Amino acid sequence: MSPGAILDHQFTVAAYIITWTLHLVYLVWLTFKWRAQKRLEARLNGNSR
Amino acid sequence: MKKLASGLYVVVTIALMIWGFYQAVYVAPLDAMQGEISRIFYYHVPNAMLCFLFFAISLIGSIGYLSYRNKLPSRAQAADALALAGAEVGVLYCTVVLTTGPLWGRRAWGIWWTWDARLTTTLVLWLIYVSYLLMRRFAAGPQVQTLAAVLGIFGALDVPIVYMSNRWWRTQHPAPVFGGGPDSGIKDPAMLAAWEWNILAWLVWGVLILALRYRLERQHQKIADAEAQAALNA
Repeated sequence: MSPGAILDHQFTVAAYIITWTLHLVYLVWLTFKWRAQKRLEARLNGNSR
Repeated sequence: MKKLASGLYVVVTIALMIWGFYQAVYVAPLDAMQGEISRIFYYHVPNAMLCFLFFAISLIGSIGYLSYRNKLPSRAQAADALALAGAEVGVLYCTVVLTTGPLWGRRAWGIWWTWDARLTTTLVLWLIYVSYLLMRRFAAGPQVQTLAAVLGIFGALDVPIVYMSNRWWRTQHPAPVFGGGPDSGIKDPAMLAAWEWNILAWLVWGVLILALRYRLERQHQKIADAEAQAALNA
């Protein structure tokens, strides 16, 4: 494998990893936000009773 | 029933993402000129095309909010949530474009970045929507949603400019793969199939996270209303 081909491979892998990381980090952030809101909602419901 | 449909949608989404990855990495042949680096195409181009779609959804939400805010407040709130969700998912897809593009450019052109028309207009689009999200996050007051809707509409005006940029100005970025004249399009059927699977996978995934973000914002609006009501009653 030529040095150019190795670099091509590394750059392609990096692009795929970055894409997946960005999307999955966003999903995790949504999950945390969802849980925080659920807690807040439960607290509000508790206060109103 | 609704839970079953949602669960099924998630399973189909995951299957499509895996299948799209398999098609792009193991099935599609290498480009004769660029070699393996051309595989970035299967992630870069679908993310670019779909960021336009999500910014268009944000535009629809922004117009809806401005149309309904005085007559139908509840519908305006739903439109506002859609505008926010579309902008956020659009920024996510646009961020992928702006990070995978330079990686591809470094190997294909020998440079990370150049102030080419397509690259610059895409960066401007990303900056407009990042400022939209920052405004929504940090600004306070009764006019924030209205200002955000106006900014969202102006931001969307950049989308056709980005789309047409490499047709109007022929600089560094390659000519359009699709809709760029008689010679455009993917000729190899395996490459075309890999691209189609990936655009479908990223579309289905995008709709999933858009729906999650929309529901989250609607829930946030309901909590804010309940808090305001509780404060009035106290």
